[in-house]
Amino acid sequence: MSAPAQVVERGVARGGGGYLRPRGKRSNFEVLSWFFMRISGLLLIFLALYHLVWWNLVIGVEHLDSRVVIERWNNPFWRLFNVALVVFAMLHGLNGARYSIEDYVRRPGWQLAVKSVVYTVVLGAMAVAVFALLTFDPATVIGR
Amino acid sequence: MANARRTSLFNSLSYRGREGMWTWMLHRATGLGVLLFLIIHVVETATVIYFPATYDWFLDSYKTGLFRFAELLIFFSVLFHAVNGARIIVQDFWPYVMQRQRQLVWATAAVVVLAMLPVTWMMLAPIFGLAEEPGVERHRARCMETPDAPACAGVHGAGSAIAGEVSL
Repeated sequence: MSAPAQVVERGVARGGGGYLRPRGKRSNFEVLSWFFMRISGLLLIFLALYHLVWWNLVIGVEHLDSRVVIERWNNPFWRLFNVALVVFAMLHGLNGARYSIEDYVRRPGWQLAVKSVVYTVVLGAMAVAVFALLTFDPATVIGR
Repeated sequence: MANARRTSLFNSLSYRGREGMWTWMLHRATGLGVLLFLIIHVVETATVIYFPATYDWFLDSYKTGLFRFAELLIFFSVLFHAVNGARIIVQDFWPYVMQRQRQLVWATAAVVVLAMLPVTWMMLAPIFGLAEEPGVERHRARCMETPDAPACAGVHGAGSAIAGEVSL
C-alpha cells in the first residue's frame, strides 16, 4: 500500500524503526509484485464483476447446471476468459497470501513449510482449472 | 510488523491509524477468505468437465439454506476487496488524494453498504419467506419459450416439472 520507492525488502530491524536493506544481490521482485497486484487487481474488478453478474443475474442460479456451463464453454473465447480469470485471481491471491505468511510466520523453517503447503494447493488448483479448460472436448461431455 | 505476534486484535483496532488500519485489516481478512473460497470454487467447477453429475450435486447442495449466509459473506468479501482495492490503486497512483484519505475510506464504506442492501435482500428474503426466489419465475418462463434449453432438460427435476405444465 506504499509507493514503489518506499517498498523495502525485509532485512534486519533498524533502531528507530524500519528495516535495513538486506545484504546480497538486489532484486526488483518486490517492486514487480507491487505493480502486479495493482494491475491484476484492476483487471479482476472487471473480470470478476462480469463473472458474478453473468452467472448470478443474467443466467441465475435456478437456471444453472452442468450443461449450461458446458454450452458456454463451447465458445473458445469464454474458455480463455475463464483461463484469464482463474490465473489472475490465483496469482493475485497467492501473492497476497505470501504477504500475510511473511508477516505472521516469522520462523524461517515454519515459513518455508507454510509457504510450501499454500503454494502447492493454490498452484495445484490453478493447474487443474487451466488444464481442464484448455484440453476438454465439449462434445464428449454433453453426450454424457 | 516485527511485533505482529505481540499485537492483539484490540490493539490493532484501537491503533491511531483508525480508518486506514481497519480497512488494511479487513482487506487482508477478506483477501485470505476469498482465496480459500477460490480454491474450493475452482476445483468444484473443474468437476463439470470430468464428472458433470458431481457438479450438479454440488449445485444442488448450495441451494440449502445455510449456504446462503456463507455465500453472502463471500459476496461481501469480494465486494469489499474490490472497492477497497480500487481505493488503494487511486491513492497509490494519485498521491495528492491522500489528503482526503479518511473521506475516501468512508466513500468506500458507502459504496459497499449501498451495494450490499439489494443483494442481501435478494439472497436472504426467500429464506425467511419474505419474497420468492428471484430466479424461479424467470427460469420457468424461459423454459416455456425454449423447452429444449439445457437447464430445462431435467438434470435436477426442473425440466420434467416444466414439461408437465406444458402438456397441460
